[in-house]
Amino acid sequence: MDNDLILIIVVVTALAFDFTNGFHDTANVVATSISTRAMGPRIAVTYAAILNFVGAFLSLEVAATIAKGIVDADLVTPLIVFGGLIGAISWNLITWYFGLPSSSSHALIGGVVGATFVAQGPEGVLGEGLIGKVAVPALVAPTLAFVVAGLAILLIYRIVGRLRPGSVTRGFKAGQIVSGGLLALAHGTNDAQKTMGVITLALIANGNLSGDAETPFWVVVSAATAIALGTYMGGWRIIKTMGSRIIKMDAAQGFAAQGSGAAVILASTHGGFPLSTTHTISGAVMGAGAAKRLSAVRWGVAGNIVVAWVLTLPAAALIGAGTYGITRFFGTGAAGPLVVSLLILLAAAAVFVRRVQRGSPITAVGG
Amino acid sequence: MTPLADPVVDWSAVLEVIWSSLLGGIGVTAAFSLGILGASRVFVHRREGNVAVAGAYGLLMALAFVAVGAAVVFGIVVMTSK
Repeated sequence: MDNDLILIIVVVTALAFDFTNGFHDTANVVATSISTRAMGPRIAVTYAAILNFVGAFLSLEVAATIAKGIVDADLVTPLIVFGGLIGAISWNLITWYFGLPSSSSHALIGGVVGATFVAQGPEGVLGEGLIGKVAVPALVAPTLAFVVAGLAILLIYRIVGRLRPGSVTRGFKAGQIVSGGLLALAHGTNDAQKTMGVITLALIANGNLSGDAETPFWVVVSAATAIALGTYMGGWRIIKTMGSRIIKMDAAQGFAAQGSGAAVILASTHGGFPLSTTHTISGAVMGAGAAKRLSAVRWGVAGNIVVAWVLTLPAAALIGAGTYGITRFFGTGAAGPLVVSLLILLAAAAVFVRRVQRGSPITAVGG
Repeated sequence: MTPLADPVVDWSAVLEVIWSSLLGGIGVTAAFSLGILGASRVFVHRREGNVAVAGAYGLLMALAFVAVGAAVVFGIVVMTSK
């Protein structure tokens, strides 16, 4: 009975993480389209949400098992997964509050690493995995996207530079609808998989599924729905940062950033070297701006974003570790996760009320 | 003889990602730009009665947009086959 209750809490928490993942990462897909007015804000998030939902069904290979190769999978328990999820959700909400794009995948990995470290000691964490699957990709993604988008925009200006601006702008706005759609599909495929993997693992650990079982259809549908709903809600604070606070972009730059970002993400999927969508698109936006004029990039904002990236893993790890510590304070039953869930809900409600009282939340209309 | 341990970083995958990102990212954006160039020029030359030049730009536009369409289809195939 207690195990079933823990399973239900882990599944609900995983779906909550999936929602924040969609909410937090909407900016990766729609920010440039909204900024260049290729699409209206509400249409852009609806379009992204639908394609996120469809993308979740494109591939059902649960290869992206949670923190695979980074923690010892045999030592992971439902309570560790719960701690990891709370660490990731909390960091996603903190970075959203400050309007900073950060990697939801790295937040989840950080949360699980922190909870594993407290539960199983340092031997539960695989240091080499952290270097190979977190640190190096975090350097490669933004740098590569920066260079590709920078070269792409220089070539674009060379090809269309002498044409009438009106028709060129219309053309690139149309192109952004296609490149944004491709990004939304890729995001749905990659990120909904993480939640499917978490829920499937929890079901296997609880004995509801055999080790070689396929992902149940209800898991696929619920993960797809949660990420699509999160995307539809739109993390407007991050959309504003990504779309207009890093650079003031024209349609050609928007297309260069999205097209290059999509190419880097799909190349990484094809090459089996997963890169963060957030790091890639942020790097591409900066590259598309810097290639036109170095001073076009607000380097202070870019610096804040990089600081958030560096802090993501340790901060989520600290929260994940603390969460695991609190849950274990109540024993190994469901009491701990229940208390933590209640505390998180109260904290989220307090933050929401504070924002409403302070007024002017950033929304589709206001943003 | 002791076999070499798995490397911490799969550098061959990193290199593949780098060259295919450069090829795909720059290739697709350049092709789309050529499509816009073709579409823009084809109308100008048709209006001026330069049928042959307009046809050449029309062909450039068609080839460029077909290349972009093929890249999008390839991207979806990559997503579904991973």
